[in-house]
Amino acid sequence: MSIVTVQLGQCGNQIGFEVFDALFIDSHCPQRLSSKRENEAYQASCKERFFSEEENGVPIARAVLVDMEPKVINQTLSKAAQSGRWKYGQHSSFCQKQGSGNNWAYGYSVHGPRHEESIRNLIQKEVEKCDSLSGFFIIMSMAGGTGSGLGAFVTQNLQDQYSNSLKMNQIIWPYGTGEVIVQNYNSVLTLSHLYRSSDALLVHENDAVHKICAKLMNIKQISFSDINQVLAHQLGSVFQPTYSAEGSFHYRRNPLGDLMENLVPHPEFKMLGVRNIPQMSENSLAYSTFTWAGLLKHLRQMLISNAKMEEGIDWQIRPPLPGLPNLSKMSLNKELHFNTSIANLLILRGKDVHSADLEGFKDPALYTSWLEPVNAFNVWRTQRAFSKYEKSAALVSNSQFLVKPLDMIVGKAWNMFASKAYVHQYTKFGIEEEDFLDSFALLEQVVASYCTL
Amino acid sequence: MGRRRRRVDPADAAGALPAAITALSRALPGGPSPETFRRAKFDRPEAAPALWRLLFHVLSPRPADDAAALPTPEAQARLVKSVLRSQGYPRRALVQLPEDGSQGSRELLLALSWLLARGPLLERLLAQIRVRLGDEMPVCECEVLASPGPPAPRVEADGCVDIRHLQWLMGKLRFRWRNLITSQQEHCALLGKVHSYTRGCHSDRSLGHLSVTEAELLRDPEGGRQLLRRLESENARLEAALEWRRRELVFWQWMDTVLDACPPEASQPTFLPRILERGAGELELVARELQALQEELQAVVEPRRAAWEARVGGWGPGWKATQRASEEAVRQELTALQRAWERGGGLAQPHGPHRLVRSEAGTLGGPGLCATEVIKALRSREACLEAALRQLQGQCRQELARLVGALPGFIWILPPGC
Repeated sequence: MSIVTVQLGQCGNQIGFEVFDALFIDSHCPQRLSSKRENEAYQASCKERFFSEEENGVPIARAVLVDMEPKVINQTLSKAAQSGRWKYGQHSSFCQKQGSGNNWAYGYSVHGPRHEESIRNLIQKEVEKCDSLSGFFIIMSMAGGTGSGLGAFVTQNLQDQYSNSLKMNQIIWPYGTGEVIVQNYNSVLTLSHLYRSSDALLVHENDAVHKICAKLMNIKQISFSDINQVLAHQLGSVFQPTYSAEGSFHYRRNPLGDLMENLVPHPEFKMLGVRNIPQMSENSLAYSTFTWAGLLKHLRQMLISNAKMEEGIDWQIRPPLPGLPNLSKMSLNKELHFNTSIANLLILRGKDVHSADLEGFKDPALYTSWLEPVNAFNVWRTQRAFSKYEKSAALVSNSQFLVKPLDMIVGKAWNMFASKAYVHQYTKFGIEEEDFLDSFALLEQVVASYCTL
Repeated sequence: MGRRRRRVDPADAAGALPAAITALSRALPGGPSPETFRRAKFDRPEAAPALWRLLFHVLSPRPADDAAALPTPEAQARLVKSVLRSQGYPRRALVQLPEDGSQGSRELLLALSWLLARGPLLERLLAQIRVRLGDEMPVCECEVLASPGPPAPRVEADGCVDIRHLQWLMGKLRFRWRNLITSQQEHCALLGKVHSYTRGCHSDRSLGHLSVTEAELLRDPEGGRQLLRRLESENARLEAALEWRRRELVFWQWMDTVLDACPPEASQPTFLPRILERGAGELELVARELQALQEELQAVVEPRRAAWEARVGGWGPGWKATQRASEEAVRQELTALQRAWERGGGLAQPHGPHRLVRSEAGTLGGPGLCATEVIKALRSREACLEAALRQLQGQCRQELARLVGALPGFIWILPPGC
């Protein structure tokens, strides 16, 4: 089943390119350990999901590119075409000549309705190329102007048009010390709107990825391209093919559907995060060997202590002892900074993958009281290695990991709103104070729900 | 269990009964051997298991395709008894048979004959196991809706259930529903491809293209041989069924002798279904609540009606005519709505699965339904159901609003998306 990607704004387009590139490169990576037949099945599965066929054999990404200025889209299109590996469709992009000045309201209330039909037609064309549509990825930033406002509008549109298809928004969480003054307003409005119309919000934090580049990859001058490549690696390790069931060797047909069913069925809990291990520069890779036990131990502690990478993990944080009543357990967890999960999806790729011991992730202490580990924990596997990593593991989790950052953003936005700073820039384009209040209420509710796990 | 008695030529009688029983045994899917029938007349215990299995197969709502899903013999026996009772089977002796499946072959034989005599049992069974060559799609879901399905496992909630868990399960169900729809769309798209690529390949001009089964036949000769074997065995079964229809009179006469061989049934008082104690308490509560509600309604309706009458009474005879006219209009609208509902659901063609045939636009004709008409009927049905759902949701919202109003000082925040 196919996934159609909508790349929005500068952020969405640059990341989208890296994602397709990572997927393509991985699926054509020479594999020493997998049989030829297995490899071909893997390639075919990845191809069906993300690329469509062209007459001269060059795969075309199933993507629609949208931006309000032409520069980034042109760069993205030419980078893909020059690579010779794959490309974007000739008529899959839409851009205008003007920006939106980081104004969310302008993106949502002006650009959105004005260009609704053109964008819808582009998406429709891409959908028609699919034999079967599993759903949509929408890649966008949360705090900018075009990506965020227009992204919220487009997602709502998709909700109306394709109500049965699944929608996952890949959201880029801005740097804590971002330069845009109104980024907190934009973030609040984006999140609240997406919470109503999207099925899952997969959040990538710029700060976290930046640290990975610095500490793990040892990159001295970190560019956006580096950050986006790390991000793409994370997404690839989640969405590349995996076996459909324990013991099967057929590849899963609908990973997006299976992921959503396992992680986000509850309407109040839609925030997802990705962690993967190992992550390192190619030079270091040659000198490292891994065991599943070691990888999983680190990954588990990353989950519990809310660490974003495998360096600098706080090993002091432990799950609470069983037998405590719920309320005291919750306050104890909060004191200990223990990250409670609702549900987790573990994806294992590589050699001896069936021998990995998963008991650590089935511990009920990791999870909230109203969901048993048998329902809350799922694992996908494939023997075929990912990229150049002989063994790799990714964890998609619905947990409390975003409560603090979210609370902080809502708090800052509220302080600004209380003094009505810059609000007129939004009311000028139809976003009323009511809308702000509704958004605050919704996000406060989300924070409260996650806190009382 | 009566049927017309006719004189049978004694010369035929000797061979006629075995032939009839053999035909019946061959026609019934999974039918017991003729020897079983004979033993059953004398209530031999070794004939019982085969008859229990046959009755379970005949009466269970979904034909069990894989042996792994078959319930235990006790569960099978319980289902057979309960379905027969719900269909009105009159003999008490069957209910009293032990459920380990070891006895009662004569009673079971009588039950089988009762079912055969009542309706087209054989034809229904044969239709179920028909070899289907075409790609089929049901045009209505009434068969699925009518059959109760296997009993759902009941999970006893000990203590409180966290509502978040229920919301989680509900959400999972919704996602599965959406994934199912996506899979069905994919299925249809691929069927369309097969049908359009094989246009002109079918020897039957009215069909014009191959179905998936038929296309597989061309690709896989071994599969073709298996299909041929299945068709041959189906033919044999159908021929046996025809044979049975010719000879069944002898069978019914023989069944009379079986019935006579039974000990007379002592008259028993009709037994009522047992109401569980817990259920009884709740029923009491519900009855009292209904009573209270009815009194409340009366109390509200009476003064209103009186007030209305008082207002209207002074308006003169012309008003009466208007009132009658508006009542008539409402009644007509109601019947129109009901007819639209029935029309939407009741297509002229019989229910059940239909073979999909892709044809060029404008070349319609011949038997069968047109897909666009079916779609239109289903859409109007869908609109009726959606209107009913919205009405029910509105009622729920009103009730919530009433409850909210009853508790001052609370702020209610609805979940996102409502």
